[in-house]
Amino acid sequence: MIRFLIYRLLSAIPVLFVVSLVTFLIMWLVPGDITAEIGGIDASAADLQAIRERLGLDRPLWERAINWYGDLLQGDLGYSYLLNRSVTDAVLERLPVTLSLAGISLLLATVIGMLLGILASVRHNTWLDQSAMITALVGLSIPDFWFGIVMIIFFGVWLGWLPTGGFVPLSEDPVGWARSMVLPAFTLAITQMGVIARMTRSSMLDVLSQDYIRTARAKGMPARTVIFRHGLRNAMIPIVTVVGVISGVLLSGAVVIETVFSLPGVGRLIIGAIQRRDFPIIQGGLLITACVFVFVNILVDLAYAWFDPRGRDDG
Amino acid sequence: MKMHINLVPPLRVLGVVGIFALASAILPAPLQAQVEGGEIVVVQGSNPPSLDAMSTSSQASRNINMNIYETLYGFSEDVVPIPILAEDVVISDDGMTYVFPLRQGVMFHNGKEMTARDVKASLERYRVVGATGNLLTPVADIEITGDYEVTLHMVEPTPTFLEAFSSPRAPAVIIPEEDGGTAAGENSFVGTGPYKFVEYIPDSHVTLEKFADYSTDMRHDGPDGFGGKKTAFLDKVTFRIIPEPGAQVAALEAGEVHILEQIPMPAARRLESDPNIELHENLQWAFTTFIFNTNVPPTDNVKFREAVQVALNMEEIMAISSEGLFSLNHRWQYPETTYDPGDIGAEFYNQADADRAKALLEEAGYNGEEFVILTDSTIPQHGRAGVVIGEQLKAIGINTVINQVDWPTALNLRMQDEGWNGWTLQMGIEPYLGPVGLIATLASPARPHFVKPDPELDALYLELTKGATVEERQETFKKIQAHLYEMFAIVKVGDSGLMQATRSNVEGFVPFRFPRVYDVWLEG
Repeated sequence: MIRFLIYRLLSAIPVLFVVSLVTFLIMWLVPGDITAEIGGIDASAADLQAIRERLGLDRPLWERAINWYGDLLQGDLGYSYLLNRSVTDAVLERLPVTLSLAGISLLLATVIGMLLGILASVRHNTWLDQSAMITALVGLSIPDFWFGIVMIIFFGVWLGWLPTGGFVPLSEDPVGWARSMVLPAFTLAITQMGVIARMTRSSMLDVLSQDYIRTARAKGMPARTVIFRHGLRNAMIPIVTVVGVISGVLLSGAVVIETVFSLPGVGRLIIGAIQRRDFPIIQGGLLITACVFVFVNILVDLAYAWFDPRGRDDG
Repeated sequence: MKMHINLVPPLRVLGVVGIFALASAILPAPLQAQVEGGEIVVVQGSNPPSLDAMSTSSQASRNINMNIYETLYGFSEDVVPIPILAEDVVISDDGMTYVFPLRQGVMFHNGKEMTARDVKASLERYRVVGATGNLLTPVADIEITGDYEVTLHMVEPTPTFLEAFSSPRAPAVIIPEEDGGTAAGENSFVGTGPYKFVEYIPDSHVTLEKFADYSTDMRHDGPDGFGGKKTAFLDKVTFRIIPEPGAQVAALEAGEVHILEQIPMPAARRLESDPNIELHENLQWAFTTFIFNTNVPPTDNVKFREAVQVALNMEEIMAISSEGLFSLNHRWQYPETTYDPGDIGAEFYNQADADRAKALLEEAGYNGEEFVILTDSTIPQHGRAGVVIGEQLKAIGINTVINQVDWPTALNLRMQDEGWNGWTLQMGIEPYLGPVGLIATLASPARPHFVKPDPELDALYLELTKGATVEERQETFKKIQAHLYEMFAIVKVGDSGLMQATRSNVEGFVPFRFPRVYDVWLEG
């Protein structure tokens, strides 16, 4: 298992290198730079050139790339042109918001999605199955930014139960934190809930038609034991795969939700940086996000081993 | 049975009520019972790029900074320079020295008293980090001529200096001497204003707190533009950053926030009859303009540009781009302001004259070359105006192509001499600053927005800046207005407004160039 873990960690290095290189090239191709934001609309060409020189934006791409990777090897992700702080600080102070949002959404999507899927498979071809699948399909089809606004109007404006936006740090007020997370997390979860529900249903239907399930039932084993111990556990491999993929989707989906609910997370940081061409933040923010994504995927691989003993033997 | 009704007591009551009603109607608003304390939340859509007021010209920063910092001179409500931290200014007859006696007893948020040393350090720093540092170019030297007096020695007489020095664009604010040597964005955010800085969490909020030792300017009865008598009634003010307009409106409706710096017009119409919300029209907010690239065909041809000018239906463009809050105005100044040039150029404005435009196109020898409109989606008015202009020009046979990009890209592309023909631009603060601030963007030494400098406009701009009296400058500006309608390098589309909204328990709020949170209080 330790060898497996080391292998996965080492194989993450080229992945992260490629991610950072592609980001670098895309940023180089994008027209416009931060000089207009700093210099203002009336800055002359000479003013803009002076800003460009001060920030090193006039240097060739290869030189900027070598400098950036050199700093990275020393643990330095650079300094934001606009935020007046280091990229590492800027990203790390917002990471808890994004991780809270993505984590709670993942939990909601997984628990509710799996319950819907199990219900649909156990009551296959009944109204319950169809209702669960229609619910999943609706969840899959709703654009999250629209659903977010609807949730804000319904629960925030009409009922006044929950705040319409903003973030309260967990350390300051746990209840306030929970209240500020409910709507965005549910909105983010709703689409992925449908994906998990459909995958759980299909996987469970496969497993529930197996001979060993029929044997378990013939032995007179309680239905709950058959479904959860023998059925669900064996159906978990594809579900875990989907949950792993969804973790990444939730991290990227957080960008939209953070904007709609005014949450100061990494997504909004990167969007703001893209809009203003704050290259160090884009570069560093995406690298840290990619690290989180790679880490989650390693956890998913470890979960495979947990659910499938063959994986452990192979590892 | 007779009923005896004693009418005297009810009449007495009515009399008392009547006197109170009459009194409340007659008394000016500042004398209404203001409530001390409480907190309000103001919403704006984007982060302030900096809270170092002098280093940024961003509106998002100005909204917050002008409650924290103050300048020696600033604009009054009528856009006339008035002293704020200065007692006055004494200008020598030859225009070569400006002596600023300072108000005494003005305290910084750090507890120190403002002196001439702070003023000198601030202005020296402004030369280095000021976003419009060139406004001090006419100043040769800043001399401390007393504990509470600073004298500016000029390179040459500059009659428009005081107007430029009062500009709120990137204001020349006064900060403590200790911050004088700091780089842009690295000062301690200490000012002399009625509110002091507490906290800034990017993408979340900026918190300000009442400055208990604020030195009120008793020369006025109440706020006047950027100066006047300012009173901080609220204990705390939070500027929340909410990028999504729908979420901003929802937060206002839910009562979580109190002031929206801008409310979309469709939402404003929906909330018109809501008793909990008050709408505030902030008219004369910006000029909607359409700028030609005079360096490339077909827009290098003045007849082609004139054809576009007379073809456009300004009412339609403004109605769509501003979502309904606009006024038609051909002038390059707001109506009834000091430099209002009257009817000059009106005959070319809002003509929507397709026949005349087609004749001019023929005269210009237009052969169907591409006419590329550069616009952006970041500022919605730009994108909407670009699309409507494009459709109107297609209708007269111009081969219009719309290149809609984001704002940084648009700014980058328009700095290139080729590749675009027309560019949509909202001019916000420039028209407010008066003719010099506006024409500076169109004349040398700056790169004119329309790319190729125009010697006649350059000469008129110089004449404007050297005009010794307001009357002389008014005459020059009339010539500029006439020339702009001869060269047709930039189209004035109209004046667009800004709709703002408050909760109805917010009292004292008056729309202005930034949300003044002083002299604002909460009822109930």
